[in-house]
Amino acid sequence: MAEPVAVVRDVEVAFPGRRSLLDVVRLRPSPPIRAVDGVSFEVAAGQMLAIVGESGSGKTTTANLLLGLLPPSAGRVELDGRDIADLGRRDLARLRRSVQMIFQDPYESLNPRMRVADVVAEPLRVHRVLGSEAEVRDRVREALGEAGMTPVEAYLHRLPFELSGGQRQRVAIAAALALRPKLLVADEPVSMLDVSIRADILNLLRALADDHGIAVVMITHDLSTVAAYADRIAVMYLGRIVEQGDARSVLSDPQHPYTRALRSVVPVPDPAARRAPQVLTGEMPDPSRIPSGCRFHPRCPLAFDRCLVEDPALRRAGPDHAAACLLVEPPAEGDPGA
Amino acid sequence: MTAVVQATAPPTAPATTARRWRAALRRPMGLIGGGMLIIAVLTALAAPLLAPYDPYAPVRVSIQDIFQAPSGAHPLGTDDGGKDVLSSLIYGARVSLIVGFTAAAITTVVGGLIGIVAGYRGGRIGIGLMSITDFFLVIPEIALQIVIVAIAGQSLVNIILVIGLLGWATTARLVRSQTLSVRERKFVQRARAIGAGDAHILRRHVVPAVLPLMIANTVLVISLAILSESTLAFIGLGDPTVISWGQMLNFAFNRGAISAGAWWALIPPGLAIVWVVLGTTLLGTALEDALNPRLKRHHLEKDRSIAIPRSPAAPLARRAAGDPATVLAVRDLAIEFDSPSGPLRAVDGVSFDLRRGETLGLVGESGCGKTTTILGLLRLLPPGGRIVSGSVRYGDDDLLQLDPAEMREVRWSRLSLVFQGAMNALNPVRPVGDQVAEAIRVHERGIGRRGAARRAGEMLERVGIGRRRYGDYPHTYSGGMRQRAMIALALACRPDIVMADEPTTALDVMIQAQILELLAELGREMGMSVILVTHDLGVVAQTCDRVVVMYGGRVAEEADTARLFADPQHPYTQRLLASFPDLAHPGRRLQGIPGSPPRLDAMPSGCAFHPRCPFAFERCPAEVPPPFDLGDGRRASCFLVEQGAAARPSGPHLPEAPRG
Repeated sequence: MAEPVAVVRDVEVAFPGRRSLLDVVRLRPSPPIRAVDGVSFEVAAGQMLAIVGESGSGKTTTANLLLGLLPPSAGRVELDGRDIADLGRRDLARLRRSVQMIFQDPYESLNPRMRVADVVAEPLRVHRVLGSEAEVRDRVREALGEAGMTPVEAYLHRLPFELSGGQRQRVAIAAALALRPKLLVADEPVSMLDVSIRADILNLLRALADDHGIAVVMITHDLSTVAAYADRIAVMYLGRIVEQGDARSVLSDPQHPYTRALRSVVPVPDPAARRAPQVLTGEMPDPSRIPSGCRFHPRCPLAFDRCLVEDPALRRAGPDHAAACLLVEPPAEGDPGA
Repeated sequence: MTAVVQATAPPTAPATTARRWRAALRRPMGLIGGGMLIIAVLTALAAPLLAPYDPYAPVRVSIQDIFQAPSGAHPLGTDDGGKDVLSSLIYGARVSLIVGFTAAAITTVVGGLIGIVAGYRGGRIGIGLMSITDFFLVIPEIALQIVIVAIAGQSLVNIILVIGLLGWATTARLVRSQTLSVRERKFVQRARAIGAGDAHILRRHVVPAVLPLMIANTVLVISLAILSESTLAFIGLGDPTVISWGQMLNFAFNRGAISAGAWWALIPPGLAIVWVVLGTTLLGTALEDALNPRLKRHHLEKDRSIAIPRSPAAPLARRAAGDPATVLAVRDLAIEFDSPSGPLRAVDGVSFDLRRGETLGLVGESGCGKTTTILGLLRLLPPGGRIVSGSVRYGDDDLLQLDPAEMREVRWSRLSLVFQGAMNALNPVRPVGDQVAEAIRVHERGIGRRGAARRAGEMLERVGIGRRRYGDYPHTYSGGMRQRAMIALALACRPDIVMADEPTTALDVMIQAQILELLAELGREMGMSVILVTHDLGVVAQTCDRVVVMYGGRVAEEADTARLFADPQHPYTQRLLASFPDLAHPGRRLQGIPGSPPRLDAMPSGCAFHPRCPFAFERCPAEVPPPFDLGDGRRASCFLVEQGAAARPSGPHLPEAPRG
């Protein structure tokens, strides 16, 4: 495997929660809200990692960690082999260039007053990486070309409202590519787009990983959109990765009951495949009230007495596959696949 | 959630700043106000040329010169000092405008800075600054001005400073709220993620967004400053060394103009003040209207939007009337939206039947007219939308022929709607249970308060919210709970037909599954027919009996679900299926459809899909393909399926397509 571009080790992010009046009187600190609670993963160059979870699972907080917008309360976030906590301001700014973000909403994430050329040039100007305006212009053209906005000339002077949703998302991708990043963090990059456009954007992201060796972290709530694209999948529930591994393996043989349920409720565009989806009751609890033991146990159809008290760590379920469930039996040594 | 608006309203260009300025000046209000202000400014600039006398020149006056009536030598007569009123009036414009413009400039700079800092920084600094602003907002300005000018001395500079420094609070509030809203926009977050600092974000993103509004506000502040100066001068606190309109009024008033009957010394300065204040106010209001889109009307308005000739004995759509299983028969529905370039057709000749107890999927990409179609059926089109032809038969009635009161009876109680954004459709200041009860009471008058509350409680129980949350407000509900409440609201009157517009789009998959399960269950239980508007083919495959695929405002294909997925006939349906992810075949890379869905203002000729269609041939851009009946309730609007038996294309290399 290639060198990891980003490594996240045992990271926790806790926000101070709301203090009740009683807590204030007793001088007790507020109960922390653990948005991310002991998460580890890594992404290598040219690899696409999908972080899948529902809202409130901590996936967006994880994205902010990778962007260096949020310091971890515990654990390490390493970009390019360096812990971001050790970096000074200037080094951090330089490192930030190598991590770029693509947002969900291409209608909102471009300033309606800025022309395409300026949107793409903005990161270059912010970081002053290129000496002359001519170099900036060249890089802008190059980035737009890489993002599939061709012929480039036709788009340079357009305003966002003159573009379709798919084109806007390509402009946002071009702006991210302008700084030649090593890591792209894409937060639900296609969920606001029309079905017929999604495939193109996903294919583009995959091509950026394959052809340019960019590491891509895609954050989504939809298993089906990443199925054909991700190399690895990490499923998050309530601030923790509950299952992680090779995408094929996780999709074809999910080990954690949550992943199984999540997979079963994705509607399949095949009326013949009507099956009983395993719809979980209730909703994900508030991260300020994480259940004891296994955090999934109140909604788990397979929960038994040990689940209420034991908090399972990730257990090996295959060559490149792990799940945090007490029911996971590690495969015997030498067992090919799982 | 703007998706509804995007899908229904014709895509108009969001006005750029320059366009908005032009729009403001094109309005009569802006034009008149701007003209009045320009006249005043030109007069002030050209005062030495226009004025017949120099009012500042020392003159020796005799008693005859005082309060002379208008004459050839003095067109507006003379004042208490024997000076020419017209000349004083013209020179007075200089003082009024100087005070107005400088004070407004001070106000804008101080208020703008404080507003931007308070809005952008937020936190303690923001709260502190806003407290100061609020303090300045409530103190009686004129009283403080009087006191300060009286103490500091009556010079023009003092007056300008006092007016400017006491008037910034309103500007600060306005700028702060605008800054706050810009700060939260996604493009600012994106700039931050890029690594941009505050200076860059302020310069490139915040200030350009706030500036137009500040300028409009400045124009309004000019008129207030002129009024303040006139007031101060009138009560004797003006700068005695300069001639301003307020000063002229003050002198005339205090020195016997009224007893002398010298109206000419009073009315012209009064009118001059009115002229300038009116001009700036008109201009400022026009600018503010154009630049500050504060109150946009909700996209669902009462129906006043039918352009079909009404006749009491209108011929109903009898073509489908033979089938008693049909609860709703839509025929040739056409809907247009107004636009500056003429009407745009959003829905064009849509026909379909809804059978009793079935779930019909209405599928298509954004802008294909699916939401507009169901809003049209309910006669709830957004402003500018109009039904231009067609019929919607429900029972023995054509819904498009009912008068508004009859339509209100039917709407919600017989045909109801689950909206896309549940938060927007629930009233935030009323408990959820009360809203459900209200819907019941409006349509079942006999039921009474108790009865309605009981039924509302049962409904909440049924949708899985539980009675104990009856009295809670919508903001305490999660997204999934709100959508459940919306369903309770829609089903409270046990309607025959429920139309659900993307009911699960903004929800997580697990919640989506819960909501769809609930809708299907309740539909079965109550024997309802459901029209499910969605872009999610997976949802359609799992929940719908039949599917209508729309493209460019027309029906592209209609078939029962199994056939549509197994053997799609229209190239659009085929491509749409190929672009949709399928967890059953996780390895399959998706294929997009080249190009993008058509915009209403640039609808392709002939078959709207032809620019994106791999099989298009000469006929496609020239003619609109009618729906071809393929038997078993299956229709496709594509020339390739004409004659019902034409060999289905097998790949994009289809050679010569059948002609004519």
